[in-house]
Amino acid sequence: MLDETTVAATAADDGAVVRVRFPAGGDVPVEALLGRLRANALEVGDERVREFLAAFGRRLLRPAAARRHPELGSLGFFLRPSELSRTLESLSQEHVRVPRGLILHIPPANVDTVFVYSWALSALMGNRNIVRLSPRSGPVAEVITEMLHEVLAEADPVVGETQRIISYDRSQTSVTAALSAACDLRVIWGGDGTVRDVRRHPLPPHARDLVFPDRSSFAVIRAAAWLCAPRAARVAVAEGFVNDGYWFDQAACSSPRTVFWVGAERDCDAARADFTDHVSRVLTARGWGVDAAMAVEKRVSTYGLAADGLAESVEFRGNALANVTLAAAAAAPRRWLGAGTFAHARLGSLAELVPLVERRDQTMTHFGFGRPELEELARGLAGRGVDRMVPVGSALSFHRVWDGVDLPVEFTRLVTVIRQ
Amino acid sequence: MSVFTKGEVEREAGLVPALADLTERHREACLPYRRILDAIGARPPYERLVDLPWLPVRLFKTHELRSVPQEQVFRVLTSSGTTGQRPSRIHLDREAAAAQTRMLAATLRVVLGERRLPMLIVDSRAVVRDPTLSARGAGVLGMMNFGRDHTFVLDEQGRVDAEAVKRFLSRHGGERFLIFGFTFMVWLCLRDLGADLSQGVLIHSGGWKRLAEQAVDNAEFRRRLAAECGLSRIHNFYGMVEQIGTVFLEGPDGDGLYCPDFANVVIRDPETWQEAPPGVPGLIEVVSTLPTSYPGHVLLTEDLGVVRGVDDGAWPGKRFEVLGRLPQAEARGCSDTMGQG
Repeated sequence: MLDETTVAATAADDGAVVRVRFPAGGDVPVEALLGRLRANALEVGDERVREFLAAFGRRLLRPAAARRHPELGSLGFFLRPSELSRTLESLSQEHVRVPRGLILHIPPANVDTVFVYSWALSALMGNRNIVRLSPRSGPVAEVITEMLHEVLAEADPVVGETQRIISYDRSQTSVTAALSAACDLRVIWGGDGTVRDVRRHPLPPHARDLVFPDRSSFAVIRAAAWLCAPRAARVAVAEGFVNDGYWFDQAACSSPRTVFWVGAERDCDAARADFTDHVSRVLTARGWGVDAAMAVEKRVSTYGLAADGLAESVEFRGNALANVTLAAAAAAPRRWLGAGTFAHARLGSLAELVPLVERRDQTMTHFGFGRPELEELARGLAGRGVDRMVPVGSALSFHRVWDGVDLPVEFTRLVTVIRQ
Repeated sequence: MSVFTKGEVEREAGLVPALADLTERHREACLPYRRILDAIGARPPYERLVDLPWLPVRLFKTHELRSVPQEQVFRVLTSSGTTGQRPSRIHLDREAAAAQTRMLAATLRVVLGERRLPMLIVDSRAVVRDPTLSARGAGVLGMMNFGRDHTFVLDEQGRVDAEAVKRFLSRHGGERFLIFGFTFMVWLCLRDLGADLSQGVLIHSGGWKRLAEQAVDNAEFRRRLAAECGLSRIHNFYGMVEQIGTVFLEGPDGDGLYCPDFANVVIRDPETWQEAPPGVPGLIEVVSTLPTSYPGHVLLTEDLGVVRGVDDGAWPGKRFEVLGRLPQAEARGCSDTMGQG
């Protein structure tokens, strides 16, 4: 008892007050925030939450919102009632599935929609949730919280009693400490540095972390398949590639940074040249550009690769598109090189990827390969890396299985019931 | 002999072959530089200044670029990196070090004259004594070579030492003397002195960012110093450690920065990378024949500038203005969370 009081007092001394952004509630001491969350109120797949999420999804899909912020459209799609049902049906029925409890989400500051995916799946699984949004979160996060409030007005009160979105400055480590000490699962999205920072705060013995640290991604294209593909298909792939690469300035962990071309040298050269033309046309048509600072950034990073002997050639199609020919496939850069900078390397066969893949490699976008050879590659990689193999154009599509983790499963516990 | 003598056509005619030679010399002697030129497909002939391949100046922070063997390195200069960035490292051999000192002296002689002048320094002696010499300290120390009877306007604690200035002026106030300081310090400290500085020649540098925040531009700066201290000989300059010894000096009329004969600027449109015509802002590329021991002879800076005129001012060649610094590129990726929040 004395201990708890001391903790609360210390927290208060540190100004351990958080701003509650959903349901809007002003500044609240962290202890009060935790105290007011209603426990054991929801079940897995709770009807009241499903209704709330579906209503929210409908709002996201309204043309005005989806047009202004295309990422909201993708989110709305993810929250359709049929998708929610599919997610629930995907769970094994062998055991009784129950919510995990209180989940703390720490999403990235600079990708505004990530927190919704993480939180929505957890809420669907019947958990109480606290989402920490950066005080510097972008305009899209603002739109999202506004919409959540609109939907909340018609929702069952239990939603407001069990879900919180908060903000506090990252210097307030006592808040992170208090929330960590209270949660049953902590979900950390973002960079290695953040994971390390947050991990300094202990969890209760039974709780654990779900972490999504720095990742990097690449694309693989079979040259012969590209050259044989009808024009319309090539245009569609180029458009998909541009979405994958440029949506988040190529800095999203699932955006490709290197393109591996598989096939004979002549085929690869021809395919890459045609691919570059197509991508360039899409960029022109969409008016994609980068500002002067980004243009300089790309020069610094690509010239740097050349200086290090990693790049054989560096070519620019305007400022929007920079292509680097790697001296060796093993030199594939993992770090961000500036929006619209792609390294290219040739491989004789898909199997040559195996020794090149690292643990931090996340998404492999592909074109021109059949399911059996992709599955064979996945087995060949045997966990070295690569958690997703998705067609070019789907790099950023969120799926309930992310980074090799089945989120709904992680957000629940199983009760074994064996009858007599 | 003035180093502000060449008109634009004559200047370019002399610089292009000299810089093209330097490009090939550095290509031979500096492997990372050679790799860059090969990767971007840069090869002679270079017909015009704008055809010469440029390096982003930031590469001197990320890479060691030198064209002389380690044992011939005479001095390594470093810049003050902004937080989180490594400083630039500039490698000079004996010859390059001597040339930069000589040419800087020749440049400043145009406004200071042949003799060393008594010197008032708008700073504190503490900045040159710091064992980890700051860029500011290095700048002050470098300029002290051009003066004598050095007097600091600020005391060790950084307070204006009006007595010291008064004593300096009683000794030298009737003849020509040199005043040096960083632009913002000059603005802060000189105006309130209430001293007659009309015989002074002010040389200042360091950028306008903090003055711009107070809505003070160059014209206002000059007007107020003239009105409040009698200072009429004022020369701003622009230069960087990556092209040490080359300074672009403001002309006597305050109508822009001029290039010494061995240097020039190209303002590039950051969209097309072509040369922007006078009056159109762009990124400043600086060229100079002084960097012989490292490939810094053609550099793209991260400063924005604009050419105000060509062969139409007090001195021949281009006159230009520095408009400010390009912001750092920022991506909205998902690889940081609390780190930026």
